[in-house]
Amino acid sequence: MDETVAEYIRRTVLKIPRDEIKTMLQKWGFLSETQLQTINFHQIKENISQDVVQLCEENSADIKQAAVLDIIYNHIYPNKRVWSVYQMNKTGEETEFFDLTDFKKKFKRRLRSALKNVTINFREYEDNAVWIRIAWGTPYTKPNQYKTSYVVYHSQTPYVFISASVLKSNLPLLCQALVVASSYHDIREMELRSHSLNSLKDIVFKRYSQNFQTYYPRPLQERNVAPENADLRIIQENRSEKERIQRVNREVFGDGPQPKLEFAQYKLETMFKSDPKMDVLDKKEPFRCLVKFSSPHLLESLKSLAPAGMADAPLSPLLTCIPQKARNYFKIREKKGFFSGSFVSP
Amino acid sequence: GVFAHLEMLEARAYEAAVKQEETEQQEEKLARLKARVQELRLQRDELRAKVDLQQKGQLEKEGVVSDPAQPSARPVLEWKIKSVKAMLEVFYLTGISGKLTKRGVCFCISTAYQGTYLDSYYLDLLAKPQMQIHRHSVPIFIPLEQIAKKYLQTDIRRFLSVLSDHLNAYVGRRYQADQLQEHFSDQIEGTLQRNSLCNLLVFNYNVSSESKTFPFNARLLYGDLCRSLPTEVIVSCAPDAPASLAETAAAHSDLFRRGALHKAFRSFSSAEESGD
Repeated sequence: MDETVAEYIRRTVLKIPRDEIKTMLQKWGFLSETQLQTINFHQIKENISQDVVQLCEENSADIKQAAVLDIIYNHIYPNKRVWSVYQMNKTGEETEFFDLTDFKKKFKRRLRSALKNVTINFREYEDNAVWIRIAWGTPYTKPNQYKTSYVVYHSQTPYVFISASVLKSNLPLLCQALVVASSYHDIREMELRSHSLNSLKDIVFKRYSQNFQTYYPRPLQERNVAPENADLRIIQENRSEKERIQRVNREVFGDGPQPKLEFAQYKLETMFKSDPKMDVLDKKEPFRCLVKFSSPHLLESLKSLAPAGMADAPLSPLLTCIPQKARNYFKIREKKGFFSGSFVSP
Repeated sequence: GVFAHLEMLEARAYEAAVKQEETEQQEEKLARLKARVQELRLQRDELRAKVDLQQKGQLEKEGVVSDPAQPSARPVLEWKIKSVKAMLEVFYLTGISGKLTKRGVCFCISTAYQGTYLDSYYLDLLAKPQMQIHRHSVPIFIPLEQIAKKYLQTDIRRFLSVLSDHLNAYVGRRYQADQLQEHFSDQIEGTLQRNSLCNLLVFNYNVSSESKTFPFNARLLYGDLCRSLPTEVIVSCAPDAPASLAETAAAHSDLFRRGALHKAFRSFSSAEESGD
């Protein structure tokens, strides 16, 4: 077995939390059950990884199998990477049939015709998602297994999720191969990025909870009702205002959990509006400034601002439009013409 | 020395006496107020009793409490609410229901396949400046934009009907594939290859004949997105399989073309049990 492959497998195993190593190796399926039983999974990770490499040596693992283990690790822990969303366009109206074998063949052929030194691996999952792992080399060097890009594509959708890590120069190549393989025309990067891959999917596939007005509401047990305060001596003076805030919040954010985003960034190129007497800025130039909101869970924290009394309800549409517009990076410029105010660039 | 001491004691005694007087006065006051409270309570009870008597007297004069000639408003209102709710439920069960909103209308398309209710999808439409989709929960792989471009402005009924056809057909195809994977996984070899729209299914399955099993391959293409039955079916068996199996393959192909996939499987797996 190649030295580099052994080292790669060893390092991949070291990344896995100790309690998960056995299940992940089972999912991998490269080592037999009897082989796995010979490993003591209670020793320190260093030793576990050495044992695994030993067994892989017996089975003559090559880079392709090692790559599959890497895909499995990234599929279970996708939140360790930052994912960007790309959108593809097509002009035709023909029904797409999406043949997976066809897709894989076209993708490999297109990518390899531009750059021969790449390792390409595919893995399909139950939710119609195809995971593609690409290790990049150069025209003169072998692929570097530590410089990988990941692509997640759901068939017959115009969205691709890419975690490029390093080597931005290979991105155009990757995008072209995707467009050709999925029979689309072109591809552009959306202004939507996050660590949580599933939340990005929820946003663009519209799987997050939206509140639609219907006569046939969902069962009431889904809504949390705080227990009534039994003490009649305590009177809520602000009850109607509190209820209004809850109602407006529910209309905007829906009832269910919000997709998980870490940032929202607003690049302002608007004029500074001050009292003309103060004359703060002599030059009539846009005041450039960048506003960045960060949070472990941005949308949930925005949802709790009004009920916590920290902001007025309804919140600014610039904040609440994030899932619907499917973007968390905005450029705000002056609106030209009649109305003063800002306008969000598409 | 002694005088000062005596003066001090005298002062203390005086203070103590003053305090005692105060507390005595307070206790007196308290006792008086308590007595007053008792008085007032008695008065209140008397008055209450009088009021009760008067009310009873009044009722006895007028007769029985409820007058059957004039139905009270409450049961009528309840009946009205119940019938409206039933009407709304009927609309919901037809598959397309809607509610007017401030700026337009919100439609709900409920899907079903052969008697099983499946998912509901929502469309929030704005009426001005022209009919447009504000928000929706339609899956991304359904060609909503194309359908909207064709029909939304001109014929909203047609728009809803076409969209409902697409959605119902999609959930029907998905349901068949799910049922196949759930109930007949022992007959399927390897994985069932499908896609988001469930309009292409490729799988290998086993057919037993004369106590031997033969691998078959099926490829189902659903060319019409508004239908839950395939437009093209190719069932093939291994080239070295006996000739009789070619007939079985053709029969299976026919079954898959005509009826639900999981029902086809059920029919020929039970035929095998009863047959050879």
